[in-house]
Amino acid sequence: MRIQELTKQYDGKTVVDAVSFSIPKGKVISLIGPNGAGKSTVMGMISRLIAHDSGLVDFEGKDIGKWKGRELSKRLAILTQSNHIQMKLTVRELVTFGRFPYSGNRVTPEDQAIIDRAIAYLELKEFQDRFLDELSGGQRQRALIAMVIAQDTEYVLLDEPTNNLDIYHATNMMKIVRRLCDELGKTVILVLHEINYAAFYSDYICAFKDGKIAKFGTVEEVITKENLSEIYQVDFEILNIAGKPLSIYY
Amino acid sequence: MNLAAVRANRTKLLVLTALVLLCAAGYLLVEVNLHNPKLFAYAMKLRTPKLIVMLLTAFAIGGASIVFQSIINNTIVTPCLLGMNSLYTLIHTAVVFFLGSGSAIVLNANLAFGVDVVLMGLTATVIYSWIFQKTRHNVLYVLLVGTVLTSFFGSIQTTLTRVMDPNEYDTLLTTLVASFSNINSEIILFAVVLLAAVTFALRRELALLDVLTLGKAQAINLGVDYDKCIRRLLLGVTLYIAVATALVGPISFLGLIIANLSRQLLKTYRHSQLILGSALFGMLVLVGGQLLVEHVYSYAIPVSVFITVGGGLYFLYLLLTRKKV
Repeated sequence: MRIQELTKQYDGKTVVDAVSFSIPKGKVISLIGPNGAGKSTVMGMISRLIAHDSGLVDFEGKDIGKWKGRELSKRLAILTQSNHIQMKLTVRELVTFGRFPYSGNRVTPEDQAIIDRAIAYLELKEFQDRFLDELSGGQRQRALIAMVIAQDTEYVLLDEPTNNLDIYHATNMMKIVRRLCDELGKTVILVLHEINYAAFYSDYICAFKDGKIAKFGTVEEVITKENLSEIYQVDFEILNIAGKPLSIYY
Repeated sequence: MNLAAVRANRTKLLVLTALVLLCAAGYLLVEVNLHNPKLFAYAMKLRTPKLIVMLLTAFAIGGASIVFQSIINNTIVTPCLLGMNSLYTLIHTAVVFFLGSGSAIVLNANLAFGVDVVLMGLTATVIYSWIFQKTRHNVLYVLLVGTVLTSFFGSIQTTLTRVMDPNEYDTLLTTLVASFSNINSEIILFAVVLLAAVTFALRRELALLDVLTLGKAQAINLGVDYDKCIRRLLLGVTLYIAVATALVGPISFLGLIIANLSRQLLKTYRHSQLILGSALFGMLVLVGGQLLVEHVYSYAIPVSVFITVGGGLYFLYLLLTRKKV
């Protein structure tokens, strides 16, 4: 996936300003940056949820807007922050929706097997017949990820997957993200607020500031005292823990 | 898949169907002279069109309400609460007003209906998709704007009737008050064809309803062309409401009652079942209610009064018992 000169304006105000970068396949890429830096808008545009004003999102040789919805949904999945589902749905029913791009409303035995595997993969077997509104935030998030896995796409986009989760569930979520990449070979792109999660679990980091890319590179290249201090306008110290550059800010 | 729940729902729907059939049979046969074939034929001639109109109305309102609720992702909003049938009444009045009750178009019931439906389809789709976009599907705003629109359309319509020739108004009035004793049976065939055509044209979008209830982002993620799908479904809803209003006049709360009863009874996200349940509840309320009106209250109170009073209370109950709107 290649992003070229991507621009978005709201009411004449430029939120994303000529952003260009390429997303390496089979890696975990985190988008970080302060509030209003445009990372979520970029996420929205590369997942076709938000239309871009100018520029190009080249997804496998074709602009993302030119793809047929059905075809794209077999290759790219997006999970947004707000997922308040009104319907009474069980976990299994939700995961079943992941097969919609392939089979519509008629679920085949093959789909059932894929759904079973997705549920087992996220250890949701004992919850599969529970209703979503009876689950905790962490469990619901896992159910949504299971749906994305059932959707069986090469690219997985997650908009702040650790939002509203406590440390335990957030860390588990990041481990799942890592497994999606390492075990299932997916390209995972996520928007994160927690710099240390991004540093510990990603391969690449794209840091935004004022609608532009401030730094893009491997974790080691981006997570430095100078870079972070400049992006966030706060003092940082970098510690090397378990071979990863983790940061402390104050 | 929760097969047990699906099967349980099938049983519930079968019971509902049986009740509807019972009411329909009751409606046709209560106090009918079965021994005199001429009297029997006369009674059937009077009652059958009414029964058909009630079943059609129930189907149109029931289906439209569920689809509309799923489009806007909220279960306490119905097309009628947002003024769709006031709009239809206004269009109908305007057509009579500008063309005159003696004109060829107004005198031909089918032609008049056709003109109404086309105007309704155009204006309603433009107005409501614009509201949805402007308010970004925020239910509270939509409801507020809808309530204002209801009175707005109502006021224009009242103004038109005030300046109208009294004789014209008199002919118009019969078509503007909801009543099953005074139905518009001339357009039954047109209505059936229109409902069937709309349903057929929207078969693809209707199959997407289950996915739409996951919300806009999820629907797009799963490959739905969201905006186009919503626009087409909305057009379908307005046409369904136009048919129902043309057949019997405006009944405000019917859609709200039957759609929510169906959701409460079936507790599912499957729209095939929800729409069927809602339509069956509608038939039960209308046919059963009319049976009571005709034989117990001997026409003293029209069934729409019961529906409005009961529906109003039910609406309050839904608003107060729901934790989140």
